[in-house]
Amino acid sequence: MSDVALATPTIRSPSAEFWRRFRRKHVALLSGGVLLLLIVAAAAAPWIAPYGPTTPDYDSVLAGPSWQHLCGTDTFGRDIFSRILWGGRISLTVGFVSVALGGLAGVVLGLVSGFFGGLVDGFIMRLMDVLLAFPGILLAIGVVALLGPGIDNVIYAIAVFSVPVFARLVRGSTLALKQTLYVQAARSIGVRAPMLMLRHILPGTLPSVIVYCSLRVGTSILTAAALSFIGLGAPPPSPEWGTMLAEGRSYLGVADQITLFPGIAIFVTVLAFNLLGDGLRDALDQKLR
Amino acid sequence: MLHSVRMLLVALLLAAPGAAYGAKDLVVGVPATLTGLDPADLNDNLSQSAARLMFEGLYNLDEHMKLQPQLAESYEATEDAKEFTFHLRKGITFHDGTPFNAQAVKFSFDRAGNPDNHLKRQSLYVMIDHTDVVDDYTVRMVLKYPFGAFVNDVAHPGALIMSPKSIQEYGKEVTRHPSGTGPYTFVSWSADTLKMKKNEHYWKQGQPKIDTITYRTVPENGARIAMLQAGEAQFIYPVPPELIASLQNSPTVTVFNEPSILGRYVYLNNMRKPFNDPRVRLALNYAIDKQAFIKVVFNGHADPIDSPAPQLLPFYEKQGFYAYDPAKAKALLAEAGYPNGFESTLTGGADTLVQRGMQFIQQQLAAVGIKINVEPLEAGVLTAKMFNVKGPEDATIVMLYGGWSSSTGDADWGLRPILYTKSFPPVLSNLAWYSNPVTDAAIEAGLATVDLTKRAAAYAKVQEQAWKDAPWIFLSVDHSLAAYSKKLHGAFMRPDQQFYLRTDASLD
Repeated sequence: MSDVALATPTIRSPSAEFWRRFRRKHVALLSGGVLLLLIVAAAAAPWIAPYGPTTPDYDSVLAGPSWQHLCGTDTFGRDIFSRILWGGRISLTVGFVSVALGGLAGVVLGLVSGFFGGLVDGFIMRLMDVLLAFPGILLAIGVVALLGPGIDNVIYAIAVFSVPVFARLVRGSTLALKQTLYVQAARSIGVRAPMLMLRHILPGTLPSVIVYCSLRVGTSILTAAALSFIGLGAPPPSPEWGTMLAEGRSYLGVADQITLFPGIAIFVTVLAFNLLGDGLRDALDQKLR
Repeated sequence: MLHSVRMLLVALLLAAPGAAYGAKDLVVGVPATLTGLDPADLNDNLSQSAARLMFEGLYNLDEHMKLQPQLAESYEATEDAKEFTFHLRKGITFHDGTPFNAQAVKFSFDRAGNPDNHLKRQSLYVMIDHTDVVDDYTVRMVLKYPFGAFVNDVAHPGALIMSPKSIQEYGKEVTRHPSGTGPYTFVSWSADTLKMKKNEHYWKQGQPKIDTITYRTVPENGARIAMLQAGEAQFIYPVPPELIASLQNSPTVTVFNEPSILGRYVYLNNMRKPFNDPRVRLALNYAIDKQAFIKVVFNGHADPIDSPAPQLLPFYEKQGFYAYDPAKAKALLAEAGYPNGFESTLTGGADTLVQRGMQFIQQQLAAVGIKINVEPLEAGVLTAKMFNVKGPEDATIVMLYGGWSSSTGDADWGLRPILYTKSFPPVLSNLAWYSNPVTDAAIEAGLATVDLTKRAAAYAKVQEQAWKDAPWIFLSVDHSLAAYSKKLHGAFMRPDQQFYLRTDASLD
């Protein structure tokens, strides 16, 4: 009996299998760590930030980095380090919420489209093609122009341009999964459509959705910063990172700390999300094995 | 051999770009595109300054905004300020060869003042009843009502004299075919470049000393500064206050940093609660630290304002200073019935300096319990919001971050448009809807005479009353900020923030 047991290949649960592969991706792990740190720091901003995000100090305007002000101060004497921490709350929220909204809508549309096919598929996919035909940032600018500037509207704008990519991704997987033996089997014993989609097909599409989410959060943060930079996002005195960049732009060459540090914050965050996404893909994607 | 000759040629070309044969070429880097070159149809400082190089007026304002005779040699006015007679300079011709004389002046004035022509500067001429040609070199303007500031009107760029022939020939298109008597003649004008060259027949002997002038539009501040530093431009404006420091130690560049006549105010809607209570308006004046405002917003390159009129405006009288005193501001607010402050909206433009200023006001007023929502608007939208109103009832702006600069350089135009009851929008710019019979009477008295002592007394009264009533938050006076090559002499920013090149300007 024991011989037989030894010969049996170890069967791991999907999550254990994922972890086994993911933990070997050191860069991705490191990125994950950095992101965790950023999220904790942003969440704890009210307690750990040394100054308020909009507290002016007219006696130390445009000061360079020092022990009092780790990243220096801006025109109003506001502490840039504290503003970056507070701004992280905005940027990360925009990133996660917009991707969650866009992802949800995209997954539903993709599932329905792929599962039912025919006219429904044609209609939804042509709609997605129209959205995809616009460069993302242009579409977002259009949406914000329609809804009016503001960080809430930026979230909707980014969500809108995230929808078509998710829809395509999920539709593709759905088409493939629909043909698999276990789905055919489930269908043959009379499992109904909603159950088929949610129980049997959706989980199969999730790995690619998760990978894409991670990549997308980075892009979304970047887009939100870009929209704020051109004045369509969070208005001053908000410490949103793109807004900080825009405010510091005219001081380039005179007080570089105003743009340098928010720039680094955006760079590190977006890079970390992208590297994490790459690691996740390597660990999750069946085709790369 | 051929190779080395070619190398030599290349080296020569590189050594003297644009300065070939010792030509004196002046390039001016400006922030926006020109809107036209028909002086009677221009509203912006930039195009007016370009028109000034090709056209001349009967009178001119020099680099200190002092009246100087230009195409006229002198003038006489009647005591009641209703008739002005100008004696013209002789022997001058327009660029197109037409002789300059009284008929040409009448033609120019009649055209610009005719409402049917829909020219933007028609308002400068509304007080003229008719213009008489007394003889070939004497012209008389008879006014409908007394207008003591008339000679300043005549010195405005909107009253530059154009060649009658060019107007007859080109009609509306004269804006692309300017022909005046100025020191430079028109060469070409495309989207971002205006080219002019020396007027060989200019009436001042030996002038001008510069061969060509090019206006180049460079909207980006940093790019303009780079152009100056690279020697591709010899004069640039504006330089944003935060970048002055980066130019101050340059061995080749001089920074121009002089007070202007542009006053910065926050217009408070005097007809709306809570700003209809003078105590609230005073409280707001005490709640703003003007020194900190200048330091934060203008990097120190501005002056506090101590009268409704900027220091360099004629007839300016110092009134005092609302020193920073938040405790007093709070007490005044409590007295007026707002012990816990109130909420209001501050409207203004969208450019960086304005936004920075509005943020500062927001921070300062928060300290006395007033919550301000900042509303930055794009220029077109803002203008519509300011002037698409019929009267005080439908004004939608309650606090406006703005300013005023007298484009004629006279106290009348510095005060009447923003303080006179008959200047309510959409007529003029009394954006605070301020109305006080004492002020109104003094403004009218200032216009009713050409007697300088009487005018001075009238404008002293206007300033005293308006300072006491505090219809605005008094903030600061801008500096004109520009930079130019040390090789250039005789170039200025005039206090009205218009680029001004003396006719004897030169380039080393």
